[in-house]
Amino acid sequence: MSECIVITSGKGGVGKTTTSANLSVSLAMMGHKVAVVDADIGLRNLDVILGLENRIVYDLVHVIEGECRLKQALIRDKRLENLFLLPAAQTRDKSAVNPDQMRKLVEQLKAEFDYVVIDCPAGIEQGFKNSIAGADKAIIVTTPEVSAIRDADRIIGLVEAAELPEPRLIINRFRQKMVDRGDMLNKDDILEILAIPLIGVVPDHEDIIVSANRGAPVAFDDTSVVGEAYRRIARRVSGEADVPFVALQPVGFWENVKRWMGLSAKAGV
Amino acid sequence: MMELINRVFGSRLGSKDDAKARLKLLLVHDQVDLSPAQLDSMKAEIIEVIGRYVEIDRDSVDFKLERSNGEIALVSNVPVRRVVARAV
Ligand SMILES: Nc1ncnc2c1ncn2[C@@H]1O[C@H](COP(=O)(O)OP(=O)(O)OP(=O)(O)O)[C@@H](O)[C@H]1O
Ligand SMILES: [Mg+2]
Repeated sequence: MSECIVITSGKGGVGKTTTSANLSVSLAMMGHKVAVVDADIGLRNLDVILGLENRIVYDLVHVIEGECRLKQALIRDKRLENLFLLPAAQTRDKSAVNPDQMRKLVEQLKAEFDYVVIDCPAGIEQGFKNSIAGADKAIIVTTPEVSAIRDADRIIGLVEAAELPEPRLIINRFRQKMVDRGDMLNKDDILEILAIPLIGVVPDHEDIIVSANRGAPVAFDDTSVVGEAYRRIARRVSGEADVPFVALQPVGFWENVKRWMGLSAKAGV
Repeated sequence: MMELINRVFGSRLGSKDDAKARLKLLLVHDQVDLSPAQLDSMKAEIIEVIGRYVEIDRDSVDFKLERSNGEIALVSNVPVRRVVARAV
């Protein structure tokens, strides 16, 4: 039984692409066959985050316009043989694709893959409509900020109106220190406001930037706390019950020492 | 913990309390799509209707749109001074 999950947020820059990449990597590391689709036509990024930008020949619009077969456009990850990227077109715009075409494409992908993950563009227009068209489930990404949460609320309404059952929430760029001093909304505040189930909390962490520089998503790094956060999200996505949320600690001296010695940081979320 | 200390020693509330209060109001208005002016005129009309049946303390009437668990409710507190004889 395969499943299509759309990663969306409303507000731009809150971490949809980072989440899509890391969730896909984590699911693939668990042994699932995964296709991740960059639906941000005109502003493609997922290829760079995954470090696959040099391998693109065909893209999503080529497939939809029948210029190539789906298999030709899918790029196999260099590290995981069961992870594939369908890149977005860079020189076209969102109107090159419509929801019906996306629905068909997702059907085709679901026939081949266990999970189809869709990286949705920011906004609530065409790109968003295309992205949710073929999805079975939605994950909403927000940061602990007023504007992001407001947009998340709007998106939750739209996702529910599109009859995607029970969207789930990822809180990204969480900073425990700021929460401790009362300067950042905490998990419970956000859940009280958005009223959807939580599927993960991802710390604000420099590992994300380092991994983006290298084109190797942080989920590959088993010594990273952020990597662990994503791996746990993937376990929850794949239906594992009671994956614990552990208290988030700021990166301390001992964690750095342990990482330096190559011990895995088992703190996590 | 820090939050507790802040509270105990009466220092400033963290900015997250502002964030939360602003968000709650914002989301109600996003969802209901009523302007503050419309809300005021609704309030005036409701008070007017209630006032036909009971004598109320108009100055302490409180009307709020509130949201919990995604549902919006109109929460009001209307202090009644006394019930007036119904004039039919
Ligand atoms: N947990 C995190 N810690 C630190 N930086 C982060 C984190 N998550 C995302 N970022 C940074 O925030 C920026 C935006 O992230 P990303 O591209 O994933 O967002 P997006 O929602 O896909 O944006 P867009 O709406 O433009 O598609 C990136 O520079 C990324 O490195
Ligand atoms: Mg993106």
